[in-house]
Amino acid sequence: MHFIPVYLIFVPVLAALFIYVFKSRHMNWLALAAQAVLTVLLVLYYREFSGQYENTLIVFGGWNDRIGISLVNDEISMSFMFLTVFSWWMVLIYTFEQGKTNHNFLFFLMFLEGVFLALLQTNDLFNMFVFIELLSILVAVLIAFKKTGDAFRAGLYYLVISKAAMMMFLLSIILVYNSFGTINILLVREAMQSTDSLTVVRLSYVLFMVAVMVKSAFVPLYSWLPRAHGVAESGISALLSGLVVKGGLYLFIRLNQMYEYANLNYADFFYWIGALTAVVGVMFALSQKDMKQILAYHTISQIGIVMMGLSKLHDPDMFIGGFLHIFNHALFKSLLFLGAGVIISAYRTKKVTDIRGVMRTMPFVSVFMIIGMLSITGAPFFNGFISKSIIKYGIVDSGIRYWILFVVNIGTATSFIKMSQIFFGPKTMTIRIRKPLKNFALMSLAFACVMLGNFYIPISEGFFGFRVQYIDIGTWANFFDYFLALTIGYVFYRFVIAPDPVPVRYIREHKMTFQQANYLFVVMIVVLLTVFVWW
Amino acid sequence: MIKHVILIAMLLAIYAVFTVSLQDLEQIYQTSADYFREFGVDQTGSNNLVTAILLDYRLFDSLFEAGILLIAVSGIIWISKHDIEEKNARFMLDKFKTPDLFVTFSRLVYPLMLAFGFYIIINGHVSPGGGFQGGAIVATAILILYYIDADKETNIGMIVTVEKFLYLTILIIASLSIFTRGTFFTNVFPYETSSTSTQVIYLVTLNILIGFKVALGLWAIFTAFLKEGR
Repeated sequence: MHFIPVYLIFVPVLAALFIYVFKSRHMNWLALAAQAVLTVLLVLYYREFSGQYENTLIVFGGWNDRIGISLVNDEISMSFMFLTVFSWWMVLIYTFEQGKTNHNFLFFLMFLEGVFLALLQTNDLFNMFVFIELLSILVAVLIAFKKTGDAFRAGLYYLVISKAAMMMFLLSIILVYNSFGTINILLVREAMQSTDSLTVVRLSYVLFMVAVMVKSAFVPLYSWLPRAHGVAESGISALLSGLVVKGGLYLFIRLNQMYEYANLNYADFFYWIGALTAVVGVMFALSQKDMKQILAYHTISQIGIVMMGLSKLHDPDMFIGGFLHIFNHALFKSLLFLGAGVIISAYRTKKVTDIRGVMRTMPFVSVFMIIGMLSITGAPFFNGFISKSIIKYGIVDSGIRYWILFVVNIGTATSFIKMSQIFFGPKTMTIRIRKPLKNFALMSLAFACVMLGNFYIPISEGFFGFRVQYIDIGTWANFFDYFLALTIGYVFYRFVIAPDPVPVRYIREHKMTFQQANYLFVVMIVVLLTVFVWW
Repeated sequence: MIKHVILIAMLLAIYAVFTVSLQDLEQIYQTSADYFREFGVDQTGSNNLVTAILLDYRLFDSLFEAGILLIAVSGIIWISKHDIEEKNARFMLDKFKTPDLFVTFSRLVYPLMLAFGFYIIINGHVSPGGGFQGGAIVATAILILYYIDADKETNIGMIVTVEKFLYLTILIIASLSIFTRGTFFTNVFPYETSSTSTQVIYLVTLNILIGFKVALGLWAIFTAFLKEGR
């Protein structure tokens, strides 16, 4: 029982190795079998340890925990693990009918699952570094999996940028080790109490945060995300946008917990970074016409909203809002990406303006897509509404912050009103391939969205240990707010976005070069140094 | 131009913060080195403390460091694989372009390098070295083989499969300690009861396996690159 975390890491890794060694079509079932074993183990582990997470510490080799590697779990990593296993189920089911090259693909996919589960559980900074490196390489390979020119460039771009970020992470680990003599996160956290915020501690914080900002695609270091998620296969895009990007946010939570006693006043700074990310993401999304690019830029903006919540680590309500939004975003963004994948493969184009009549051609997929859209725009009775409301309640008194969230909501509404044009129009003849498993994956995700939107009180109490009773869905004010946002969004779309004026076109064609991205990387280090070291 | 000046100014500022912050280390510098010096040899049986950390105290990290190479190899193979028939592909290393002197010396050096690589692998627990370093040296020796025989054919698929099996074996051997000590990823032979020479068996086995795995992985990588640059 005690070693279940280790099995959770190695069951998918071993499955991946077996799939690679025995290159047979039947080995695809092994992935599902491993997934089933994983689910059972996770449920067992949850039943055994929920509520008493102080017993979950494992130190490998039985060594002193100052020098050994340890794994530890808490509510946050536990709920992330459930989300991971659920997301992998969906993607595995969705990509199950993929064909001959599937075993190669499954090798990388299953290995990624093991690595991601390990990243969630580790209690050691260098161990964390190793897992993030593995994650970057695996994600780069999965982005470039189609082997087209674009995919290859995007994969390499991501790999190089995240390597630069990870070098900063490594440097920071060296600083931490030299300051505290250990890289065990819990012990470092305790040791921080007596340091009285020295420059070296602040510098290490800055370097960690730069790495996190690249990994979770905050403005201005987001440039890899739209490329990567735009060109990858839809199943992979769903996984990357839904879950793997959240790895960066998870690091943000973990590292800020570690620096809890270091007297660093980060909340406001990261709040504004989050707000900026949300606004910039929406702005770019509005200008795009490629369906997957729209969704990718919305990932950036939703990460901004999550960040607005997470930045208040010491204000429980805001934090819960951000944390729940990670889960809700994972569900509806996976749903939208997978649905978009089905539509794109049927219509053979990614352009929103060229696809017509999806409602008549693919009624099931359309219904699921509409559920995803309602969730992401924050309609009452869907899951996006819950977390957005919690964040809204936290900032409702502070003028400008509230209005920024409102503007982002209007932007999201506008952009999905634009996307919803694909549903209208006459039935079109498309390549009809019956794919029941894809529909099943979409249906499960849509179901999860609706469930979390309506039964949020028992779910959030059981899984995350939060009480969110104060959210009331059925009030008229909520509906009024939502329809106000929709109306403004429609007007905005009709008269500003649809005519495609020059500024919109300019934003659409703006692509950040690699040089600019690196320049901004250095600028961001200096900005963070100014905020956290000199102030 | 102005952009470059600003960039240099920013880098200098970062450097300045670094130098300032390193002075703080005089106040709070701490390290675990004393622990390793005091207990390292007794607890792990390795005179080389780097190997002690790599193969015992932090074996879990090393497994996934080997995993990074594994994934990098499979990723490169997958990405560089072309659909055209390449059974009779000739490598870019043309016999006529390689100087004779170089080929002759390569023949002379090849066995020495191979022996040196194996020496580094096997003595990883005594002197500086170990599986990762020795494996890289062995791989370099194999690379020289391509200069000696430019027409050499290599079956990458085979290499990669063997590499995966070796990785599986490493994982299994690393976790054997669950049966003897009740915990994962440490020496199979408990240090309380067994002598240093018994513990060494485990270290040498792991070093050899890691060495072969690394050598095979690097071999696969440069074979893929040679085919690519053809």
